[in-house]
Amino acid sequence: MIEKKPLIKLENLNVNFPVKGSMPFTKKKYIQAVTDISLEIFKGETFGVVGESGCGKSTLANAIIGMLKPTSGKVYFKDQDLFSLPRNEFKDVRRSMQMIFQDPFSSLNPRFNVFQIISEPMLIRGDFSKKEMEEKVIELLNLVGLSDKDLYRYPSDFSGGQKQRIGIARAISLNPDFLICDEPVSALDVSVHAQILNLLVDLQEKLGITYLFISHNLAVVKNICDRIMVMYLGKVMEFGDTKSIYKNPKHPYTRALLSAILDLDIKREKTILKGDIPSPTNPPIGCRFWQRCPYAMEGCINKVVPLIEVEKDHFVACHLISGFSDEEVSEGLNNPVDKT
Amino acid sequence: MSGNLLELKNLKVIFPSEMGVVKAVEGIDLDIKQGECVALVGESGCGKSVTSLSIMRLLNTPPAIIKVDKISLDGEDISKFSESKMEEIRGRQISMIFQDAMTALNPVMTVGKQIDEVFLKHGKMSKKEARINTVKALKLVGIPEPKSRAKSFPHQLSGGLRQRVLIAMAFACMPKLIIADEPTTALDVTIQAQVLNVLSDMQKSHKVSLLLITHDLSVVAHTADTVYVMYSGKIVEKAKVEDLFNLPHHPYTEGLMGSIPRLSDTTKHFVQIPDQVPHPMFKPTGCYFHPRCKYATEKCKKEMPPLVELENGRLIRCFYPLNMSEVKK
Repeated sequence: MIEKKPLIKLENLNVNFPVKGSMPFTKKKYIQAVTDISLEIFKGETFGVVGESGCGKSTLANAIIGMLKPTSGKVYFKDQDLFSLPRNEFKDVRRSMQMIFQDPFSSLNPRFNVFQIISEPMLIRGDFSKKEMEEKVIELLNLVGLSDKDLYRYPSDFSGGQKQRIGIARAISLNPDFLICDEPVSALDVSVHAQILNLLVDLQEKLGITYLFISHNLAVVKNICDRIMVMYLGKVMEFGDTKSIYKNPKHPYTRALLSAILDLDIKREKTILKGDIPSPTNPPIGCRFWQRCPYAMEGCINKVVPLIEVEKDHFVACHLISGFSDEEVSEGLNNPVDKT
Repeated sequence: MSGNLLELKNLKVIFPSEMGVVKAVEGIDLDIKQGECVALVGESGCGKSVTSLSIMRLLNTPPAIIKVDKISLDGEDISKFSESKMEEIRGRQISMIFQDAMTALNPVMTVGKQIDEVFLKHGKMSKKEARINTVKALKLVGIPEPKSRAKSFPHQLSGGLRQRVLIAMAFACMPKLIIADEPTTALDVTIQAQVLNVLSDMQKSHKVSLLLITHDLSVVAHTADTVYVMYSGKIVEKAKVEDLFNLPHHPYTEGLMGSIPRLSDTTKHFVQIPDQVPHPMFKPTGCYFHPRCKYATEKCKKEMPPLVELENGRLIRCFYPLNMSEVKK
């Protein structure tokens, strides 16, 4: 059962990347990859982050795990502020947070054999003998559905799904409490998706790991995540309990994502978003989604969108839901935007 | 049979190696009608891409050894054509859309120039005319500001736009047949839907035949007319798309369909096909699918089932096809 104790806590996390200007002495520009995100991930749950490429999902993951220093804001892991810890303590804490990467073809060293790949974290930690490591690696291999025959084979001998299993074995080799799965199946065949997802679910049941699960496919996220956050251009659009979001998606972007899912239902009507995700260099003050939103109003461009709770554990940032005050309506803020 | 734009008869492709012979494709027949969208579905390593490359005659021989009774395009047997004659056909009569747009495009050439090349090679026109046609082609696939976009390099475009450039390039000379090899695998769900819409609109409005190669049955559901399911170098099932989704006959098709996560699912566990495609050098005896098939019997382990034709033009390679009683009703 999920205890209501936060394992990870983010407070107003911002990550900006400086962009080189074309001229010297001009004002520095920043890409706002992640803007003002606060959330809590509870022990034992699976937390999903959903959004298109370029919306800041991976940047968020990298900031949580400490691979990237956030511009401002705090990350707490078990009530410790990650970025104010001394270096050696940070390394200790970092051991209990691991990551599975998107592309198993490039995240495994082709010159290492399976034993070397999986035992590397243990080797770095340093308090294991060779024999202990070998036993542990075999145990891990069995856990992820490979056998001890594979111990001295190289990544090129394995299929995509098997490579991802090796990546998972490496990630859990130091018994982490928290695991970030950054699009763990999107580089794999559809038929292998189910195998890897089932493995992750089983591992969670056996080892009690907390997951942060990143994906762009809402159909995958639905069945394994307890709570989800929908991101767009670095900001939270919708956030909350998975069941209530799927039952009652409020934000136009969430609805578009849900509708874009391809499935076997041949006759289903689809609304397809126009255009691509815009550049996050100069995002609008208001809603970042307005350029592609079919319901965009004048007020969406310039008025800050509040994140409001529509029902228990279900938050939405959209002017359509929060509405405008009478004064603002008289100023014409709710007129539809002419995008032509 | 008349009305078929492409007829492929008994295609076999093998790759001899030091370790043994890799049988990539083992006798495939494939027919594509004029203006039809045919999908070839299967997991990685089942020989889909090798099939498409053999039709384009883009496989290097050696190492590959291709044996085929007939590859006829619009009545002409292209399997015996010389390389120079093939060059004329590629781009003008058959063209191909590749999976990864970033590697399929030349990174040091503007995308406009790359599409110009198609017109210059096949259209006998000046550079200026070629550019006008290029801008038209880019506009057709829904690229905003096509004139200035033509001047950008591949890395300046997003994944969805790059894939559209490839589609524009494939449709440039309005070929009779387009082969799309996993056109949307590298894309996000929203962009995937956009690109598939463009592809299927273009195909329908220009009455081009399309061979769509994919591992994702959900892509097939929205675009294809006829589906061939391939497993380990052999066709295991062929059917009209509605028939296939209503009543899959082959256990492999059923497994593929089950493994797609759906919004209507409620359980935490996904249906999965155990294991993986056998290595093409070490294929099992009997039916290639039997080690992964939950219905397999002793007979399946010994004999390869033949490809049987059913009433409504469906083909099936299985001793114990599923959902058969419901068909008879």
